[in-house]
Amino acid sequence: MRKVSGKLEINSNVHVDPQLVFKERKKPSFYIGRTLIYIILIIWALFTFFPLYWMFISSFKDANASASLQFDIIPREFTLDSYTYFFQFNEEVWRWLFNSLFISSVITLSNVLFAAMAGYAFAKLRFPGRNTIFWVLMCAIMIPGQVTLIPLYVLIINVFNMSDTYAAIILPSIVTVFNVFLMKQYLTTIPSTLIDAARIDACSEFGIFRKIILPLAKPGLAVMAIFTFVGQWNDFFWPFLVTQSNEMRTIQVGLASFKFADSTQFGPMMAGSIIASIPMIVLFFSLQKYFLQGITIGALKG
Amino acid sequence: MKVRQFLRDFGWCYVFIAAPVLVFLAFTLYPICSAFIMSFQKYNVLQSEWIGFDNYKHIFTDPLFGKAFINTTIFTVATVPVNVLISLGLALLIFKLGKKAQTFFKASFYLPAVASGVTISLVWFWIFDPMPEGILNQVVHLFGINNVNWLGKKDIALFSIILMTYLGGHGAGIILYLASLGGIPKTIYEAASIDAASAWSKFRNITWPLLKPTTLYMFVTGIIGSFQVFISIYLMTGGGPDHATTTIAYLIYQHAFEYFDFGLAAAESFVLAFIIVIVSVLQFKYMGSDVEY
Amino acid sequence: MARVVFEHVSKTFTDDKRGVFNAVSDISFEIKDKEFVVFVGPSGCGKTTSLRMISGLEKQTSGNIYIGDRLVNHLQPKERNIAMVFQDYALYPHMTVYENLAFGLKNLKTKKEIIEQKVKEASKILGIEGLLDRKPRELSGGQRQRVAIGRAIVRNPEVFLFDEPLSNLDAKLRVQMRVELAELHKKLGTTIVYVTHDQVEAMTLGERIVVMNEGKVQQIATPTELYNNPANLFVASFIGAPSMNFIEGHIDNGKIAVNGDTFPIPNKFFHGNALYNGQKVTIGIRPEDISDPHFSRQITNSSELQANIRVVEHLGNEKLLYFDKYGTNFTARVDAESEIRSGDSVKLNFNLDKMYLFDSESGVSLSREGGH
Repeated sequence: MRKVSGKLEINSNVHVDPQLVFKERKKPSFYIGRTLIYIILIIWALFTFFPLYWMFISSFKDANASASLQFDIIPREFTLDSYTYFFQFNEEVWRWLFNSLFISSVITLSNVLFAAMAGYAFAKLRFPGRNTIFWVLMCAIMIPGQVTLIPLYVLIINVFNMSDTYAAIILPSIVTVFNVFLMKQYLTTIPSTLIDAARIDACSEFGIFRKIILPLAKPGLAVMAIFTFVGQWNDFFWPFLVTQSNEMRTIQVGLASFKFADSTQFGPMMAGSIIASIPMIVLFFSLQKYFLQGITIGALKG
Repeated sequence: MKVRQFLRDFGWCYVFIAAPVLVFLAFTLYPICSAFIMSFQKYNVLQSEWIGFDNYKHIFTDPLFGKAFINTTIFTVATVPVNVLISLGLALLIFKLGKKAQTFFKASFYLPAVASGVTISLVWFWIFDPMPEGILNQVVHLFGINNVNWLGKKDIALFSIILMTYLGGHGAGIILYLASLGGIPKTIYEAASIDAASAWSKFRNITWPLLKPTTLYMFVTGIIGSFQVFISIYLMTGGGPDHATTTIAYLIYQHAFEYFDFGLAAAESFVLAFIIVIVSVLQFKYMGSDVEY
Repeated sequence: MARVVFEHVSKTFTDDKRGVFNAVSDISFEIKDKEFVVFVGPSGCGKTTSLRMISGLEKQTSGNIYIGDRLVNHLQPKERNIAMVFQDYALYPHMTVYENLAFGLKNLKTKKEIIEQKVKEASKILGIEGLLDRKPRELSGGQRQRVAIGRAIVRNPEVFLFDEPLSNLDAKLRVQMRVELAELHKKLGTTIVYVTHDQVEAMTLGERIVVMNEGKVQQIATPTELYNNPANLFVASFIGAPSMNFIEGHIDNGKIAVNGDTFPIPNKFFHGNALYNGQKVTIGIRPEDISDPHFSRQITNSSELQANIRVVEHLGNEKLLYFDKYGTNFTARVDAESEIRSGDSVKLNFNLDKMYLFDSESGVSLSREGGH
């Protein structure tokens, strides 16, 4: 470029290589840093993976293999012996799986319906006492489970006499306050003018909920449904307390009972663990994005 | 007339919220009141008898409760801050990577949480096997340590349970922190660079303060969770050896469902709740002073 | 007959944060059948609240509202035979344009053939027949707006309600839509109640305008009347852009004393207005009534005053002069050919015939016939 008589002229004969001009040259320390990060993360991830991995490969080992097994990273043998053992140990294993499926599904569906309804009401409807009732309900979240547990047990078992029934497991979880909170946060983002427009369009209030709110809330409902389902499938304590008979146990309770019956048969124990967790792991891989975005819906502002 | 108009205007709103309200009344409010009354009674399955503050007196004089309290405190102090920091650390590292790598690591760290508490406990029960061929023993053998009885020795058992938490379940926290980190405008960091701030200075003066709401949330929920740890203890140590891993939550379970002393258990649960409330309030005061929710 | 009448309507909100808030205080008006009335005012003046009370989305705290001959106080929106176009269009995102248009009729259990016919009619009027299968997110802002209007037309309401419908459009599109809305009104011949904060929209679209501020009606009049005879300081400053210049002064022995100068009291309009000595008054004069003497047309009653020009803005078709005098910032609109430059100290012509006078404390205009 030459400066000529106060005006800046660009010498257009110089060929400028666009690649050179726009490529950011990164310092070598950048690449070292990146690699270090990857190394740390991968090592840590491997450590957290390890228990699951161990569970997985051990389940395919011989049922009668000794309690302390060789530490093989790559499995040397592959057999379904442990699985057979586990299924044979207790004739109700399939029933356990069915119980878990049934209970989790019912609770998920009821939560989706009722939490969405209540969440919508708290988010968009105006009625006397709305804020007060909401905050009172939210207090329930902060109460540790132990406090309500024992009287709840007495209520369900003694008063309602529902010991060992599906209802006993399902009822207290029909709709959780946490899910109501989640839905309220989520549904607040739906523009209120849509609801106004629907009211002018002669839509009934339940119609608005059914035809406008629910379709638009699908992503949030999906997240809540998945978390509820997985939470229920993995739940141990309450089903443990209220079930007595073998047939009524959920898979988690059944698995725990296996451990107490025979705490040395690790092969089958791992096989049982895999059976108990594979459904959720499969769910996780297929619906990953819902899991990953789900946590943030309730906890962050807005 | 007025009532009719009111019902016409708002009746259906109450229908919408009916389910959670009823559940709350029946399964939260009623039990709390009932538990409160129970805590003043000697209550077992068949009969109840009013004994005033005896249960509470028992709690505060019972060395076992004291031990449980200590165990719980150790457990909480050793797990919550460490795990929150681990989550934060991992999140900070992951945040620097590209989108695909982030998703990969988010999923990897979240995966263990999908397996149930029962299955995780069983695997670790095996990993902690005290025989020389036990997995963890084989690992520490490489460092010259022999035959640790991870779950059977008084001094180590609690530590083993604590160790278990360090190696899993950070997924949720990582995702939360990643989302919060994403919410910090990049321009703030750029302004800091112009102001010649070092990486540590940026972290201390920008990142850490802006993450406070999330950190507070993690602490509060973490502590509430750690006070209620049950499955791993129930399945792996049964509260032993010699009550080394008995936490307050576990003690409550034992008193209620092994000794069937509901009254005592109810009283203990209120003490536990009280402790949790105090700790949460303190946390909000200490950490939440400039946090807007 | 689709007139809209408000009788002493008030609306109070009780907020946890703000406490008691009077959005609308005792307003009354009558909108005639087939009239295009615009409610205009700054944010928070109560215009949107009033609109929502007509629609039934808000219930008034007190007062009566009539649509047509019916008292609608207790009627739901769907029973009032009205339709509304929202600022953000409020199109149902998960439905196609057709389904958006048909939604209201479907809820009223109209026959499928009739729905089809009405939707086709409405889409034809607005030129959106080709968009019926699309979803709202596939449409441009202007197209969405038309669909929103279409949804209102399909219902054949007695009254159309518009809530700042043009605010989300870019400037060019806004002008275009303004013209189309005016034509639409002629074509449909229904009563329209239109809310905006933009006084240009109000002046161009409204047959009559309701100017509101802080929950109260300031003036209801035609655009011309508002411009020529503002009822108070607020209306005078709100209508017209650039806005009116104001000078503070007081009455002194039959003249207006301002900072050392005196102005004669224009005697044209002061029937029945008692002016007393010492009364604090505000003089108002529009920028277009201050001119460059070289380009002033014949003005019967003018006064030449010295001004130190701070800034000159060249707009192409005219020039804007900014100067300070009597403690106020003045704006003047002068001919494009004027040679006045910034920094100049010149004499400008003030057209005293177009001067307004307001009582400083109440804001009421003292220069209107009959006193109000």
